[in-house]
Amino acid sequence: MKLSFASTVVLMLAVAALLAFGPLVLPPFYVRVGQLMLYSAGLAVAWAILGGFAGYASFGHAAFIGVGAFAAGLVENRASGLSAPLLLLLGVTVGGLCCAVLSAAIAYPILRLRGTFFAIAMLGVSHVCAEITNNVDFFEGSLGLNFPSVTPSGLEPATFFYWLYLVGGLAVLLIAWQIRRSRFGAGLLSIREDEDTARMLGVPTERYKRLAFVISAVLTGMLGVIYGHSLGYITTDSVYRDDTNLSLIVYSMLGGMGTLFGPIIGAFSLVFITQVLLGRLLDFHLFATGLLLVILVLAAPGGVLGIARTVSLRRHKVTTAPAE
Amino acid sequence: MSAPILSVDRLFKNFRGLAAIAEVSFTIVPGSITSIIGPNGAGKSTLFNLVTGYVAPSAGEIKFQGRRITGLATNRIAELGIARAFQIARPFRDLSVFDNVRIGALFGKAGPRDVASTTAHAMELAAIAHLADQPASTLTVGQLRHLEVARAIATRGDLLLADEPCAGLNPTETAAMIDVLRQIRGSGVTVVLVEHDMPSVMEVSDRILVLDAGRLIADGPPDVVAKNPQVIAAYLGSPD
Repeated sequence: MKLSFASTVVLMLAVAALLAFGPLVLPPFYVRVGQLMLYSAGLAVAWAILGGFAGYASFGHAAFIGVGAFAAGLVENRASGLSAPLLLLLGVTVGGLCCAVLSAAIAYPILRLRGTFFAIAMLGVSHVCAEITNNVDFFEGSLGLNFPSVTPSGLEPATFFYWLYLVGGLAVLLIAWQIRRSRFGAGLLSIREDEDTARMLGVPTERYKRLAFVISAVLTGMLGVIYGHSLGYITTDSVYRDDTNLSLIVYSMLGGMGTLFGPIIGAFSLVFITQVLLGRLLDFHLFATGLLLVILVLAAPGGVLGIARTVSLRRHKVTTAPAE
Repeated sequence: MSAPILSVDRLFKNFRGLAAIAEVSFTIVPGSITSIIGPNGAGKSTLFNLVTGYVAPSAGEIKFQGRRITGLATNRIAELGIARAFQIARPFRDLSVFDNVRIGALFGKAGPRDVASTTAHAMELAAIAHLADQPASTLTVGQLRHLEVARAIATRGDLLLADEPCAGLNPTETAAMIDVLRQIRGSGVTVVLVEHDMPSVMEVSDRILVLDAGRLIADGPPDVVAKNPQVIAAYLGSPD
């Protein structure tokens, strides 16, 4: 499964180009499902930069979706003179910046916690942000916030946001991929494997964890801004969602924790299962997600890519055994 | 005599009133192999933890190549050139042997320069080059010890602290490890060992430091230390 640099780029762009035809050929329902798949995949990869690479599984990344979306909405509503593309650019920048400030501010104390304690603390952060958004009038969280329309004329909003999520998701994937290949990425993996040993080998663990946390938060927040626009109108409950918090973990577990493409595979499959296969069973998808999580932990802790790796290792062993 | 690579001056470490290290002073000459021996609980591993910055001393000073390192972060000390191999091997289990060693070469004192050749050289030196593609989780105890040493020397530190590299190894494996340590010294790295296996210690060391109950009770060449009555008493109990 080792691809060269060039062939990986070509492969990613080819798949993205193929996906870009989606809205032109698919019926409207599937365009909406596709939108959700791409959005979820982007979030899953952004989450995995911290959760998968460095092993700090956050259970509260919806905090950054919410902070990003609300910050962008509040600013965009006060900058109504701008053209649509500039408005979106402003929103994404402000949303990302706010998430950078928030994550950098909480990074030091919260990243001292490990494992479950970190996960639960992040859930707390998500809930605190939600409560503040809901109860401080300035944020308009309980009343709700309208987003100015940024869809170019002559284009279906569903199509436009499908493409926007595709571009955003691809950008997140390229960033995660570059991190994965870098010295920084190797350092993050060593932190996941054994943080004390990593430090003993000279890995600047504290700085790396903080950096991964901020990058993950900013990318999540930027996707949150697009999400806010695609909904058009958001309240606290529509962005600070606990099912999002849960899903982000499940995506990585389903596809393959710590891998680059695992979170994408996980997000695509889970969204497809819950929206299409179980689409008629209202609200059944939370139950399905939970059940899937239990099955995964018990039966396939390595996820889809983990199973694939085991199978290929086994085949490899069979073919090489006689030679030894 | 050349300037010491490591000098420890009046070092103390108390754990809730218990003195784990009490007034320990010594210097290490570059290019030597020094062994630290002593009964269980004598403070050998604590001493390593202090030198690598893993725990902070209660008092005293540690200098590495003339530079004060007391109070520096563990990763900073590793960057300056002190490498450590743990007593209980702590491989990155999900990574291959190659990737384990590569982490050492990417960081440590080596920095991100010549990563491929540093990694290859370290695996060669520790005699695990043939295991490069295997996941660390599939290695035997003996191989893990070699991996631990390879990863430490891949950091290109000038000083290797090896905590019981021969513990739990059979005589053949022990001989192989001693050979590796000699080669490491031959490549210009100063080695400090904590070791229990007396024949190996006697054979490989230029000098032996003996700790007992946190205090340094003897310091000298192997044959002198072996005859020291205080050392014999610490190991066997005093005759009276």
